[in-house]
Amino acid sequence: MSLPDWVEPVARYMLEEGLANTLKLSAIALVGSALVGITLGTLLTIRFLPTRALIRLYIEVWRGLPILVTIFIIFFALPAISTSLRFDALTAGAIGLILWGSAQVAEATRGAVGSIPREQHEAASALGFGWVGRHLFVILPQALRRLLPPMVGLLVNIIQNTTIVQVIGAPELLETAERQVERLTFEGEEHPIEIYGAVMVVFFVISFPLTRLAAYLERRLA
Amino acid sequence: MSGLPFTLAFLGDVWSFVQENADELAEGLRNTLEVSAIAVAGAFVIGLVLGAARAHRVPVVSQAAAVYVEVIRNTPILVQIFMLYFALPQVGIRLDAFTVAWLSVTIWGGAFNTENFRAGFEAVPVRYREAGAALGFRGVSTFLNVTLPIGGRIALPSSINTYISVVKNTSLMYVIAYPELTTVALQINALTLETTETFTVLAISYLTIVWSLSIVIRLVESHLALPEDSR
Repeated sequence: MSLPDWVEPVARYMLEEGLANTLKLSAIALVGSALVGITLGTLLTIRFLPTRALIRLYIEVWRGLPILVTIFIIFFALPAISTSLRFDALTAGAIGLILWGSAQVAEATRGAVGSIPREQHEAASALGFGWVGRHLFVILPQALRRLLPPMVGLLVNIIQNTTIVQVIGAPELLETAERQVERLTFEGEEHPIEIYGAVMVVFFVISFPLTRLAAYLERRLA
Repeated sequence: MSGLPFTLAFLGDVWSFVQENADELAEGLRNTLEVSAIAVAGAFVIGLVLGAARAHRVPVVSQAAAVYVEVIRNTPILVQIFMLYFALPQVGIRLDAFTVAWLSVTIWGGAFNTENFRAGFEAVPVRYREAGAALGFRGVSTFLNVTLPIGGRIALPSSINTYISVVKNTSLMYVIAYPELTTVALQINALTLETTETFTVLAISYLTIVWSLSIVIRLVESHLALPEDSR
C-alpha cells in the first residue's frame, strides 16, 4: 500500500515550514513568558501599592482579553499609533502569546513565592543577602519547584494557542495546512479532513505526554 | 501628542465612534453573549453528566468520556473549529456559522468541565457517602443529595475559569466570519479605518464582560462556599 501522490509535498511543507515555526514560536513564547512572568510575580510580593496596582492591572488585562484580540491589537492597532511599532506576523504573535503567558506565570509565581516560609527570608537576610540576592539565590530556587507543574501546563496551552497566529497569516502548522487545503481544492482535490485531521494528530502527540507529565508532577508535589 | 487634552480628545473620538457604529456593535455584542450563554449552559450539563460518569466509573460511558476529554484538551480549539466548519463538508455535513460557533465552544468547555466535575466529585470523602447510605439513601439519591452539593462546590472555582475561557474563545469565531464582537469590530475597521478607536472599544468590551463575569461569579462562589471553607 502506498500513499496517494498528493500526500508527500503536503506533509513535507507542513512539517518543514509549519511545524518548525510552531515549535520555534512555542519555545520563544515559553521562555519570554517565564522571564517576564517570574519577574513580575516576584515584584508583586513587595508590599508597595503603586507597583502592586500596576502589575495587577497588567495581569488582569492580558488574562482578560482573548489572545486573538491581543494579537490583533499588536498587529493592526500598534502600527496605526506609530510606524515604528510595525511587526511581522510571527513576531506579533510571539508578543501576544508572551503578554498572555507572562500574566499566567506572574499569578502562579506570586503564589509560589508567597508559599516560602518567612524564616527563609530571615535566614537569607542574616547571611547578608539584599532583596535581589535573597530572591534570586534563596527564594526563587525553592519556589521554582512549586512552579514546575503549572509551567508544564502552560507549555501545553502555549503550544495549542500558537494556532491563533494563523488568523494574521503567520506560517505555523495550521496556516500551512490551510494553504495546502486551498491549493489542492484549486487543483480539484478535496482533502480537508485528512489534512486538518493530521494537524490534530500532531498536536495530540505533542500535548498528551505533556499533560500526563503535568498531572504527574502535580501529584508528586501534593 | 500626549497629556490630558489629547486623552480627552481621544475619548471623544471613541465615543463618537461608538455612536456611529452602535447598531453593528450591539449586534456583535448580542451574538457574543448568546453563543456564550448557550455554551456555558451546555458545558455545565456535559461536565455534570460525564464528570459523574467518570467519578463513579460507569462502564463504557466513563471510558468514552475519557477519550473525549483527552482529544479535546490536547488539540487546539481553532483546529476543532476548522474541522467542523471547513472539513466536515467533505463528507456532506454542512453546518452554518452559528451552529459551529456554539457547538465548538460547547464541546470544548464540556471537555474541560468534565475534568473539573470529576475532580470535584472524587474529592468528596467516602465517609460522606457512607453516611448517606446509613441515612437510607440509595445510589442516585446519594449522588443528588451528598456528592453533588459537596463535590459541585469543590469543582466551582475551576469550572468558573472554564466558563470565562469559553466566553473568550467565542472571539475565535472570527475565522468562520460569524458576526460576534471581534468579527464585527474588524469589519467596521475595514470600512472606517478608525483602527485605534475600533480596538479600544473591542478591548474595553471584552474586559468589561470578563471582569464583570468574574466579579458576579466570585460573589456566587462565596455565597455557595462550604461552611468549613468560609473561616
